[in-house]
Amino acid sequence: MSEFFRRIRYLLNRRRLQAELESDMDFHREMAARAGRSNFGNGLRLREQAREAWGWTWLDRLVQDLGFGARILVRSPGFTVIAVLVLAVGVGVNVAVFGLFNLLALKPLPVRDPESLVRLERHAPDRYMDGMAYPSFAFYRDHTKTLAAAMATLGIPPMQFEDDLQPVSASFFTPNYFTELGTAAAYGRLLNPVQDGSASDAPTLVVSYGFWQRRFGGDPSVVGRVVHLNKKPVTIVGVLPYTYAGLGGHQPDLVIPIAQQPYFIEGSKVLNDPLAPSVQMWGRLAPGVTAKAAEEELRALTTELHKQNPKQTWEKEYLQSSPGGHQQVVRPDLYRSAAMVSVLMVLILAVACANLGGLLLARAVTREREIGIRFAVGAGRMRIFRQLCTESLLLAALGAAAGLALGCTVLRIALTAFDAPKWLSATPDWRVLAFAGGVTLAAALFFGLAPALQIARQRQYKTIARKVLVGAQVASSCVLLIVAGLLVRATQHALYSDPGFGYQRLISISPQLDQHGYSPAAATAFLEQMQTRLRATPGIRSTALVWLAPMNHAVAREDWVVDGRNVSVYPNQIAPGFFQTMGMPLLAGRDFAPGDKHAVIVSQSLARIEWAGKNPVGQLLTNGDEKDLVIGVVGDAHINALSEDDAVETYWPIPEDRMAGMTILARTASDPAGLPVEIKAINESLDPKLFPEIRQLKIVYREEVSGVEKIAMSVSLVGLVAVLLAGIGIVGLVAFTVSQRTKEIAIRVALGANPAHVLGAVLRQYVWPVAIGLVAGGAGAAAGSRLLRRALYGVSNLDPAGYAGAIGMLLLIVSLAALLPARRALGLDVARTLHHE
Amino acid sequence: MPMKDTPNDGMPSGALPMLILRILHSGPLHGYAIGQRIHLLSSEVLAVEEGLLYPTLQKMLLKGWVIAEWGISETNRKVRFYRLTAEGRKQLKSEVAGYDRVTQAIQSILRTA
Repeated sequence: MSEFFRRIRYLLNRRRLQAELESDMDFHREMAARAGRSNFGNGLRLREQAREAWGWTWLDRLVQDLGFGARILVRSPGFTVIAVLVLAVGVGVNVAVFGLFNLLALKPLPVRDPESLVRLERHAPDRYMDGMAYPSFAFYRDHTKTLAAAMATLGIPPMQFEDDLQPVSASFFTPNYFTELGTAAAYGRLLNPVQDGSASDAPTLVVSYGFWQRRFGGDPSVVGRVVHLNKKPVTIVGVLPYTYAGLGGHQPDLVIPIAQQPYFIEGSKVLNDPLAPSVQMWGRLAPGVTAKAAEEELRALTTELHKQNPKQTWEKEYLQSSPGGHQQVVRPDLYRSAAMVSVLMVLILAVACANLGGLLLARAVTREREIGIRFAVGAGRMRIFRQLCTESLLLAALGAAAGLALGCTVLRIALTAFDAPKWLSATPDWRVLAFAGGVTLAAALFFGLAPALQIARQRQYKTIARKVLVGAQVASSCVLLIVAGLLVRATQHALYSDPGFGYQRLISISPQLDQHGYSPAAATAFLEQMQTRLRATPGIRSTALVWLAPMNHAVAREDWVVDGRNVSVYPNQIAPGFFQTMGMPLLAGRDFAPGDKHAVIVSQSLARIEWAGKNPVGQLLTNGDEKDLVIGVVGDAHINALSEDDAVETYWPIPEDRMAGMTILARTASDPAGLPVEIKAINESLDPKLFPEIRQLKIVYREEVSGVEKIAMSVSLVGLVAVLLAGIGIVGLVAFTVSQRTKEIAIRVALGANPAHVLGAVLRQYVWPVAIGLVAGGAGAAAGSRLLRRALYGVSNLDPAGYAGAIGMLLLIVSLAALLPARRALGLDVARTLHHE
Repeated sequence: MPMKDTPNDGMPSGALPMLILRILHSGPLHGYAIGQRIHLLSSEVLAVEEGLLYPTLQKMLLKGWVIAEWGISETNRKVRFYRLTAEGRKQLKSEVAGYDRVTQAIQSILRTA
């Protein structure tokens, strides 16, 4: 039997073996007494020393400490409840955010072998595009050896289902998509390469579980039913499972085999067009192949593709792979935003910890006597220190449990509110549990160690610790409040400020003529007819053509460097009359006239940047190999970059051969709510094959903004919680200071001190920590908010109002928190106080 | 302050387990008797206090060199007797051999230096 097992056996029979040792030693004393020798050793202590050989003393002490700690906490329920709540908020916020990150980027999709799935996107040193042409995809798919399979999805605007008013989201998938992921149908079958691989196969449709519930009330007999999609008959063959997990979080209501795309979008040549970036590519790495190796092979294939058709690829193009087996494709920028959010989370935890540290320090005073007695009766410094740490850990464990429950509840509410895919569950997995444990341990060290050290050392309670705590709390709350303030201002700005164009009464009509194989001449004719009909419709004031309509699905951007500054330029192509329809002011020069070539109109900001102090009209602007004449200047309108305040725009005439890609904008006289039906009817009479996407920009705008609104609200809530925490903490600390200095204050008052001086004496020590905290917090927020730039919807990240508001509010709360308990000092009954001590 | 037990009766450090092993070699004894025997056999030079004796015995139990069994003392009291195990015998041999080597080495230095 080895030593280890003897130790374990001792642990199991501890009580009996300890009694036996005690009996041995008692006997020893009896015998010694008989022999006339007395023994002065402390029996209990000697027995403990003898027992130490077995190495279980720590366990006894831990049990003792835990029991004692629990009794201490139960004895002051007020303190315990506040401490646990404070910690629960700190831990809970962190758990909720980490839980979300876990669901998005760490938890593998519930599909076959998620680790080997990659997302493949086109990159070049100066360019990036998430879509690729279908012929390119087919080339990669047919020639790759490092990918065991290649899947593609082709997203399209919502389609018309039967005669429903509301269009339904739809997507074309390669037929191997579901077989590769191992998705099983809830009813019927899903797509497969044998039955859905070719355009000559019967058209099939797979519907999502949610759509099946909403539209068909969960009727299993829909399988096999023929329905009409964009007026084309198609057979529903199956229903996706309730817990369906799509690649990249893509969960359309309708899934159609990609081979059927020309059937539904009549006249479309997208599947054969090597220049139309249409599909998103996914791959499954062959067994044993790394993503790097696959990238290398695909790079060689891209070179091959470039040789076959130089136009099909860019200079130095390559495919970049990102892990694809999660809800969100794990691209580097995901980590960047995660890092930013985690800084805020750490700040909240820091506020909670600093707060708790303050509470513990204040409590230390009430325990001074108790701990003094324990030292006096012979407790070791280490022993007391350990006891205090155990208490902190006990508190931390309670806070962690409450925080975990809180965090998971918040996450559950968020998942429901944002209509997340059903396979995502808020129930914590091992990662979340490990994270919660880690956070709690870190918190316990932070808030528990300093007070424990101070107490165990039996030092005077130095005010420096309190000052550091106050400073840390103020600084962290300051950052949180400023960031929250900036986001709130940004939301307000986005909601209530003019984006530069009159979106309230605009409708965009995108007939997608290029998708239906229109020639430029046919497109010009169709758009002309359509516009004439629209203008004749009561309620429509004017119409215009534009390449990229406001808040378009696709966006074009160029990055220029002007005078060493990076400028984001959003180019667009427009027909005459666009500015009038959009409600944008022409500030100088003139609008385009029909037939204008080599002319350009620039936005006000671009004119200011390029030609500061000069008249921009008449200047030349480089456009590729040519120089175009600036004929006009219009007001700034970030029509495709609502969130980017520095964006500038250029407007060019529409080249004749690009006519099929244009969208019609219509300005209405009043609320455009009823018009889409009429517009549909006009389209029907012109070309029934077309199913234009009709968007009321007011609604699109609100949707764009509501996302920011939700984020801003959550951040403000968190900021508010942090400020409240800081307030509670400061109330506690000042109250503690007052109680410590009661006698001094009473003497001062008795000697006739001015009340203001007394207050000053109590509060002076906090002036510097608060000031330093505010400055550090402001600087931290200024540095950090540069990262927020893009999310700030037209508000400067150094917005003085946001900073002043946040700092002012914090100062107010801190002053209130400090004055309330300090005032008590003035109401002291001097005589009684001095008698009492 | 915590008590520090420093029984300083000329016992070379580390020698106690060897002495106990040697004493128990002649038969099982209870704790007090072990102490007494060491005291007597060393012509009353060495004294073993309980503060040292019992921790050492516990350590020897842990190592498996001795086991404790119930017996009856000379005063008719139920008490534990410590008995050497096979492992303990082996340990005794190696400790004695080691001790001999060291004392010889020390003595040779003392003689020649």
